[in-house]
Order: sequence, then structure tokens, then C-alpha cells
Amino acid sequence: MYFVAEVHEKDCQKYNCKQCVLFCPEPNCLNYKESAHTAWVWYDRCKGCEICVYVCSDLLKRDCIEMVMVKAGD
Amino acid sequence: MGLEYVKISPGFEKYMPRDYVDLVTFGQFGKEVDVMQLGQFKELVEEHPMCAGCYMAYFIRVFYAALPKPEDTIVLGTAGCARLALSQAAVPFIYGNYGDTNAVASGLKRALSIRFPDKDKDVVVMAGDGGLMDIGFGMTMHSWFRGEKFTTIMVDNEVYGNTGGQESGMSPKGVQLKMAPTGKKFDKINAVELAQVSGCVYVAKISPTNPKKIAKVVRRAILAARKFGPTFIHAYTSCNIEYSIPTREVLQDARQREKQDFKFYEWMTDEVKEYLEEIERKEKERKKQEVRS
Ligand SMILES: Cc1ncc(C[n+]2csc(CCOP(=O)(O)OP(=O)(O)O)c2C)c(N)n1
Ligand code: SF4
Ligand code: SF4
Ligand code: SF4
Ligand SMILES: [Mg+2]
Repeated sequence: MYFVAEVHEKDCQKYNCKQCVLFCPEPNCLNYKESAHTAWVWYDRCKGCEICVYVCSDLLKRDCIEMVMVKAGD
Repeated sequence: MGLEYVKISPGFEKYMPRDYVDLVTFGQFGKEVDVMQLGQFKELVEEHPMCAGCYMAYFIRVFYAALPKPEDTIVLGTAGCARLALSQAAVPFIYGNYGDTNAVASGLKRALSIRFPDKDKDVVVMAGDGGLMDIGFGMTMHSWFRGEKFTTIMVDNEVYGNTGGQESGMSPKGVQLKMAPTGKKFDKINAVELAQVSGCVYVAKISPTNPKKIAKVVRRAILAARKFGPTFIHAYTSCNIEYSIPTREVLQDARQREKQDFKFYEWMTDEVKEYLEEIERKEKERKKQEVRS
């Protein structure tokens, strides 16, 4: 089991913001889907650092990202 | 190196790894991307083993997105954390012996200018504070004295991160590290000032709090090095492991340091300024025209 970020897409869609995507340290990990106006996480690439949570919750007060436990193969 | 070299030969698409096909189809080759589009194109750097929340890794991510001509660039690194990611990018990477980067880059850049006299081939050194300001100090300084035309980027985590926490000349005075238990006895080296008086034509100091600003500085340093001489970027890239920064607070720490000793600083010679302003003015015009049409 390991810890990854998960974007609540329905909440994120409201903002059209993309800020967390610009601060994730990992390449092509936290991405942005223009068509659905939402950020999304490629779980295999996420290292669980929570910098995106800092951006979304602490800086922007939008609370659209949650850290969740996943198992290999999820 | 060159655009032809990175393209997939017709008929071979289905045999190439998916990531490479994506790179050629949705990547940066042959065009300049806007870093604000990160997360919407295939990035040059791939998965790598740098630690979770490492802001040196973040800086490297933005650095690759900012390259003006990735297909005509060679990156040089050395022992230290940065090479763990630099070696995982679709840009030729040379591993210089620890301390040798700026000597190797000097020879390489000169050879490329002889081999490709009509083309811009960019050489960028990216190495740690130990690699450039301690063990490679002499080679770094002499590449600047000689006016070698390449960019040096120091990813300064204020410690020997890769070998478990020895102090470097760039560690702040008084700081206690795992392998410097009595605290550092002398001041942090003023690398930017050294660069400025040693022949660099463009110098910047930056904390990674704004990707647009990082990209602008990287691009300016590379473009100026093509024409005028050595350029230097001093970037604060925290090591959350050796400095015990909770990963969630890594960006907050970068913002804090920006208010203290890592205030944004940029200096360039008058001719560099004139040259860059002309390029940036033309670009703005081109973008305006694109919007209109
Ligand atoms: C000639 C030589 N001496 C020592 C080493 C061992 N060594 C590997 S990485 C490193 C320190 C790295 O510190 P820095 O350059 O600041 O990079 P960081 O890991 O902090 O990013 C040392 C001393 C080496 N590889 N080669
Ligand atoms: S910071 Fe929050 S609201 Fe903004 S894109 Fe990221 S998840 Fe969505
Ligand atoms: S937890 Fe870290 S690695 Fe994962 S998506 Fe968020 S910022 Fe990126
Ligand atoms: S040891 Fe420090 S600098 Fe090296 S990868 Fe880990 S967090 Fe980054
Ligand atoms: Mg270091």
C-alpha cells in the first residue's frame, strides 16, 4: 500500500485553475484535462509528497485533493 | 542530436515504447512550449528516483520545459542528486567526473562550435553546490575567466545531499547537519557575486516559487550564452531529507527563503540586455499576431 493524491474532479472543475499542476515535482504526474477542466493524478507516478495539497488547500482554500491509500494494481 | 535524430523512422512507431511515441507526438521537440501548459504535454524528463517532494526535482522538471531547443541541447551533470533525474530525460546527458563539469562543458561547447558552425548547440551544466562551489570550484571559476559560452546552473540544496549530509561552502553559517554536528563555522559563499566579477554575462538567483519566472531565467541564460559568454543561475532547491522539511511544506519553505536570502536577483551586461529585449519584443509581437489570426 502506498499514499497518493486524488483529485475530486467534480470540485476541481468549478475553478478552472491548474495551480497544483504547476508545482508538483514529478513529471507528467499531476496533469490537467482541458476538456473537463480538471486536474488528475497518474497514480503510478505520484510519490505522495502532498505539495499539491498545500497548494489546493493551504494556499487556495479549495480542498479538492485528498491523499488516499492505494494497493499495487489499483 | 538534431530534430531528425529524435523522430521515429516511418514504420517503427508500433515498436517504440509508448512514452517515446508520446514524446514525439505530444512533446516539446521542434517547438517551444509555454511552462504554464505543464501537465498538458509529454515532458522530456521521465520518472526518476529522486525523493518525494524534492524541490531540486521540481526545478529540473521546469528546467526541461523551458529549454529553447531541447533537440539541440546537451546537459552535463555529475555526482549528486540532480543527475538521478537528468539521466532520465530525452536530452543527451553527459556525466562529468565530480568537479569536472565545467572543464568538460568547455571542451564540448568548443567542439560543437567547430562541428556545427552555423547552428546553435546549447550546453548546460547542472550540478550541486558541492559539485560547483567546493570540489569543482577551480574548474567552474576558470570556465568563467575564459569566457566559455555555456550556461551553469547550480541547484543549491545547501548540503551534500547525495552522500548523507556533509556541509558545503553553500550551507548557511551555523547550520547543523548530520555530518557537521558542531555547526558550520563560516558564511555561505556568495556565488552570484563571484560569477558577476569572473566574466559571466548573465547572472540570476532564484527560489522556485513561480514556474514562469524559472522558465524565463533559464531561457535568458541559454540564449545569452549562445552569443556572449558564460551565464550562471543560482537556484535554491531544498533538500527536505537533510533539512527535515515536511514535504507538504517544501513550497512554503521556498516562498519563505525568497523573502529572506533568496530574493529574486538578475543582472546582465548592457549588450545582453539589448539582445534579449529585442528577442522578447519580437516574440510578443508574433504571439499577438497569432492571437489575431
Ligand atoms: C571526486 C569525487 N569525490 C567525491 C565523490 C562522492 N560524492 C558523490 S556526490 C557528493 C556530494 C554531492 O553534493 P552536491 O554536489 O551538493 O550535490 P547534491 O547531492 O547535494 O545535490 C560527493 C562528495 C565523488 N563522486 N567523486
Ligand atoms: S489547485 Fe485544486 S482547484 Fe486548482 S486545479 Fe489543482 S485540484 Fe483543481
Ligand atoms: S502528492 Fe506530490 S507527487 Fe503526488 S501529485 Fe501531489 S504534488 Fe505530485
Ligand atoms: S536527498 Fe535531498 S536533494 Fe537529494 S533527492 Fe532527496 S530530497 Fe532531493
Ligand atoms: Mg548539494
